[in-house]
Amino acid sequence: MLTEEKNINVEEQVIAYCKDNISNQDIKHPLYPARLGAYELFRIHGLPSTRNEQWKYTNITSKLERIPSQSDVKPVPVNLDNFINNFEIVKKAKENKDSVLVFMDGAMQSQLSVISSDTKTIKVTSLKKDPIPDWAIKLNSEKHSQNVNEMFNLNTALMEDGAIININNNKGIADNIYIIHVGNNDGFYNYRHMINVQNGAHVNIIEFKISNKVDIEALYTSSIIWKIGDNCVVNNVKYQAHNQITIGFNQQYADIANDTEFNSFTISSGSKLLREFRDINCNGSNSNISISGVNLLDGDSHIDTMLSVKHKAPNTISREKYKSILNDNSKGVFQGNIIVDDIAQKTIAKQSIDALILSKNAEHDAKPELEIYADDVQCGHGATTGQISQDSLFYLKSRGIPEEEAKRLLVHAFLTDALEEIKDKKILETFADVMNNMLNRVSKGNLNV
Amino acid sequence: MWGKKSVMFNVSNLTVSVEDNEILKSFSLDVGPGEVHAIMGPNGSGKSTLAHVCAGKEDYTVLNGEINLNGEDLLDLEADERSTRGLFLAFQYPIEIPGVTTLTFLKSSLEAHYKANNREVLSTPDFMKLVKKKAAELNIDDSMIKRPLNVGFSGGEKKRNEILQMALLDPQICILDETDSGLDIDALRLVAEGVNNLRNEKRSFVVITHYQRLLDYIKPDFVHIMYNGKIIETGDSSLALELEKSGYNNYIK
Repeated sequence: MLTEEKNINVEEQVIAYCKDNISNQDIKHPLYPARLGAYELFRIHGLPSTRNEQWKYTNITSKLERIPSQSDVKPVPVNLDNFINNFEIVKKAKENKDSVLVFMDGAMQSQLSVISSDTKTIKVTSLKKDPIPDWAIKLNSEKHSQNVNEMFNLNTALMEDGAIININNNKGIADNIYIIHVGNNDGFYNYRHMINVQNGAHVNIIEFKISNKVDIEALYTSSIIWKIGDNCVVNNVKYQAHNQITIGFNQQYADIANDTEFNSFTISSGSKLLREFRDINCNGSNSNISISGVNLLDGDSHIDTMLSVKHKAPNTISREKYKSILNDNSKGVFQGNIIVDDIAQKTIAKQSIDALILSKNAEHDAKPELEIYADDVQCGHGATTGQISQDSLFYLKSRGIPEEEAKRLLVHAFLTDALEEIKDKKILETFADVMNNMLNRVSKGNLNV
Repeated sequence: MWGKKSVMFNVSNLTVSVEDNEILKSFSLDVGPGEVHAIMGPNGSGKSTLAHVCAGKEDYTVLNGEINLNGEDLLDLEADERSTRGLFLAFQYPIEIPGVTTLTFLKSSLEAHYKANNREVLSTPDFMKLVKKKAAELNIDDSMIKRPLNVGFSGGEKKRNEILQMALLDPQICILDETDSGLDIDALRLVAEGVNNLRNEKRSFVVITHYQRLLDYIKPDFVHIMYNGKIIETGDSSLALELEKSGYNNYIK
């Protein structure tokens, strides 16, 4: 007999929270119909349970006990700017006069944000404060009509703020846009970014998500909706290092037109529970995409990646390369789905999912799926789960390298080919220090265990 | 045996098992400074086990005995500590490690040695100079040290890389575990020359080999025949020549 998998209390809490929220919304707001529709859907379906195939290995309610309590007033700490500037990445971004958008607890901080004055090609508006551009309203309603993703519906119902970014740059040199999220107060936060990359634009979008303190209990949902035109080059790197009690649900949707290169790379660590949902659509031909990442897990962290790549036009290439390091009691889940439509001839799709387990109690579940309806394609997937090779460890130690350092070298080596998917080497360099710190911690393990 | 001769490295009454099989049976060997000892023996006599146990590999159970370097028992030390104390094992099959460049590996290794011995770590330019100099002496191409460790290296390159590490780490006792395996004549000569260049009055070698061929290039002071977990015969370099002619059968009782 199946035991009841849902913690009804927390589900009721979330529905009540939504109801309360929707009743306070302006019914004339252009996003109201989407909100209301999403709320109705969420109310009917509730939180997804493990009976839902896409959530087979992640039981939300065993991690999410309640909505964290929050205060109405969330003053921006006086030192937030200093805190953010402490990160080399942000400092460099500001020195380079790149655009930096700062969010605290899901709300845009205009006074801390800079839009590069050098470029007239980037337009940023806030979902909360500014009129919503027509393209964003259209994009939003396209994505949520008929959407069955419960957490996306929840995000649509509750979204408070976010960046609406329009990029129209034909100069052939990439603009850099940094989006910094800082978790600063206990609470429940919901934000959405919409990014419109117009034909011919080159852009690097670097997201940086961090917790200000180790004891901030945050629950958040976030979504990014990308619309990417013809002949674009888009490099997206997301670095998220939450504390061990944050729970986050990230949704990302991307529609990609013709002859475009889209590289999206995620570096994740920490979190009590982190869901990474991605739905990538190659709608045009001759595009080349890479959706890749590394997960560095320790303590009781749980990261679930659900990836769906759809080839809907001929001659497109997709690569997915994910590597996970798991220590202590952590758990990693990867479900990767590649769908090739009947018209998508000459598709090349490759997926590889590798996990390195450093402790007895860590777990990794991988489920690759291919659905191919075209006959002239090259598609492949591979998944491995293994441990550090004792022979390699002995070899390094026999040359005087202490065990901890030897393990760190081997863990780093394991990640190398995934990191090569970060095509912009300058971006990769900017992450070197934070990555190393994270790696040092995870290779040692024993965090809160 | 102890008499006048000083002993730098010694193994005494070493008994070692793997999964309840005794591989080394009260094995003993004394090595003085600057000496070269060759250990020969048929397959399964325990030669590689000896090499691995000395270097600190963990898959073995030491039931009895000691391994001493300069009077310090190595058995309680981790493999990395044995290395920084001055023991070097040249592997029969050097491990390939994709993702770690040879240069990074050499640097980590040399830094670990300097730190353990309270020496000031070399600056990167000084380190590069040193590596290039040692590599040139061994006819090792610069491009090789930029490649991932041993990945795609030929048999000869792997062994030269071992000797390069030996040259950099400046050990006191070097154990060569069948260094000649997988080498053609030219590569063998190159590797042997590398070893000979490192010979001096302080540094000692234990050369484990199946074949007398390697000993044509690296002249041993002593040749030991190992069988069934211990040394059953000891002689000078002529013993190796005799073995080559008549095989092990005359010595195995």
